[in-house]
Amino acid sequence: MGVLSFLIYLSIMTGIYAILSLSLNFQYGFAGLVNFGHVAFFCIGAYASTLLVMGGVPFLAGVLGAMIFAGIFGFLISIPTAGLKEDYWAIVTIAAAEIVRLFFLNEAWLAEGAFGIRGIPQPLRALFSTSTYPAFYLGMVLVFLGITYFALRLLTRSPFGRVLKAMREGDDLPRAFGKNVLRFRMKSMAIGAAFAGLAGSLFAHYITFICPWNFMPIETFIIWAMVVVGGQGNHLGAIAGAAMIQVFYVSTRFAKDYIPIEAELLASLRMVIIGLLVVLFMIFRRKGLLGEKKRSYRLSGEG
Amino acid sequence: MPIVQILANSLIRAVELGLLAIGLTMVYDLLKFANFSHTEFAILGAYLAFLFNVTLELNIFLSAIGAAILTGFIGISLDRAIFERLRGVGSVTLMVTSFGLAIVMRNIVRAIWGADIKGYAIELQRPVKFLGARMTPIQMWIIAIAALCMVAFHLLLHKTKLGKSMRATSDNPSLAEASGIDTVKVIRWVWFISTSFAAIGGILIGLETQLHPQMGFVLLLPVFCATILGGIGNPYGAVVGALALGLVENFGLYFNFGNIINLGGVFDLVGEIYVPTSYKPVISFAILIIILLIRPSGIMGRKRER
Repeated sequence: MGVLSFLIYLSIMTGIYAILSLSLNFQYGFAGLVNFGHVAFFCIGAYASTLLVMGGVPFLAGVLGAMIFAGIFGFLISIPTAGLKEDYWAIVTIAAAEIVRLFFLNEAWLAEGAFGIRGIPQPLRALFSTSTYPAFYLGMVLVFLGITYFALRLLTRSPFGRVLKAMREGDDLPRAFGKNVLRFRMKSMAIGAAFAGLAGSLFAHYITFICPWNFMPIETFIIWAMVVVGGQGNHLGAIAGAAMIQVFYVSTRFAKDYIPIEAELLASLRMVIIGLLVVLFMIFRRKGLLGEKKRSYRLSGEG
Repeated sequence: MPIVQILANSLIRAVELGLLAIGLTMVYDLLKFANFSHTEFAILGAYLAFLFNVTLELNIFLSAIGAAILTGFIGISLDRAIFERLRGVGSVTLMVTSFGLAIVMRNIVRAIWGADIKGYAIELQRPVKFLGARMTPIQMWIIAIAALCMVAFHLLLHKTKLGKSMRATSDNPSLAEASGIDTVKVIRWVWFISTSFAAIGGILIGLETQLHPQMGFVLLLPVFCATILGGIGNPYGAVVGALALGLVENFGLYFNFGNIINLGGVFDLVGEIYVPTSYKPVISFAILIIILLIRPSGIMGRKRER
C-alpha cells in the first residue's frame, strides 16, 4: 500500500470513528448516559444500510434507513432503563449490543450469519477509477462528519441541549422546571444511536464486507477511549480523541515490521495501552485533553 | 433430559455464578459503583492457578488456594492504585475506570498466556450417577467448595468483629468511622474477599470447562444479572439470584414454548418451540430487562440490618 492511499484509508477510518465518538459524546458527555453498547448501533446501521442498498434502494436512502433503524433501536433499549440509575444503563446497553451481534451471527437467513456479506455496493463507484475512488469516499465521509458535527453542536447549544446538561448533573433541577427527564433521555439515546448508525453505513460501503466479528464489544471500548481522551462534553475533543486513538491503533499495526513481535501479542499490548490510557485519564485528567467549555448564558433582553 | 439432571446442571452453574455475584455485590454496596472489572479478577485467578498447577506442576488444591490469595492481594493493590484516588467522585467515573481496568486485565492475561484454550492438569473426568443425575467428581467438588465458601462468608459476616464492621461500614460509612471502625481496613478486606472469591469462582469454572481470555466478558452479563436479580448490596440475594438464573438458563432451553401458545394442548396452533442453544446468553439479558421493568430493586431488595 502506498503512503498516500494508506493516509486516505486512515483518514476515512478516522472520519467514521469520529462520527461514532461524536455520537457517544452526545449521549455520555452531554446527557450523562453511560452507554457501554454503542457498537450495537454501529452494527445495526451497517447491516440496515447494506441490506437496503443491496435490495435496490439508493445509497442515500440506505444511509437514512441506517439512521432510522439504529435510532429506533436506541429508543427501544432506553424504555426499560430511562428511569433507572447509570449502573443499569451500562449493563443493559452492554447486553443489548451482545444481543444484536448474536442476532446477526445466528440469523443466517437475513444477513449470511457468520460468513458475513460480501460485495456491498459503493455509491457512484462507476464514476471513478480504483485509485481515485478512495479520495472521493474520503470527501463524502468528511461531508457526513461535518453534518454530524454541526447538527450535534446545534442541538447541544439549543434549549434541548441545556436540559440535557442539567440532567447530567442530576434529575432534580430539570424536574423542578417541569421537564420530563425520561423523555429527554430517550430522545438523546435515539439521536446518538442514529448518528452511530450513519457511521455504520459509511463503514459498510467503504469496507464492502461486513460480518458480526466487525462489531465485537471491544469496539465500544475504543469509542469510549476516544471520548475520554479527547474530552467529554466537547465536540472538537471527541473528534481529536478519535484521530489520536485511531492513528495509534492503525499505526501500531506496522510495529511488527520494525520490531520482532507476534501479531497476537501486539494486539493485546495495544489494548493494554488504550485501557491504561482510559484509567490514567480518569484519575489525572477527567475532563480529557480539551474538556467542556463553560458557557454562560445571558438573559434575553439584557445588554 | 431428566429433570434431576437439569436441576444438577442449574446448581453447578448457580454456585459458580454465586461466588462471583457475592463479590460484585459487596464492592457495589460498600463503594457504590458497578465494578466492570470484577469478572476479570475471576479470569486472572483462574490463569494464576493454571500457572501454579500446569507450569509449576503444583497440586490443584494448593494452586487454587495460592491463586485466590494472590488475586486478593492484587485486588487490594489495584484498589489502592486506582479506585482509592477516585473515592467520592461519583459512580459514573468509577464505572468507566473499572471498564478500562477490565480491558487492561483481559489483555494482560491474553498477552501472557495467549488466546488459545487451556485446561488444568486434572484426570479425565468420568461421570457417575448421583441421586439420578450424572455428575463428574469435579462437579461435585465444585458444589462442595462453593458451598463451603458461602458458609464461611456467612460466618464471617455474622460471627466476627470484621463482619460486623463490614456491615456497619456499608450501612453508613461516616457513622462507622465515628464509632471507631477503621473503614480503610474494612475496604481493604472487602476487596480481598471480593476478588479472591471471584478467583475461586473463575477456577471452578475453569475446572469444569476450559480457560480462555474472553471468559471474563462472557461471565459479565450473567454475574450482573444474578446480582441485580438478588438486589444490589445483598450477598444472600446474590446467591438466590444466581440460583434463579441457573434454573432459568437451564430449564429455559428445555421448555417447549409451543405449549404456552397452544394453552397446554387446548389448541394445536404451533408445533414445538424451543429456545435455540445459540441464544443461551440472551436468556440472562431477557431476565434482566424483565426485572428492570417490574422490580429494579431485585427479588430480595436491600436488606437493612440494625
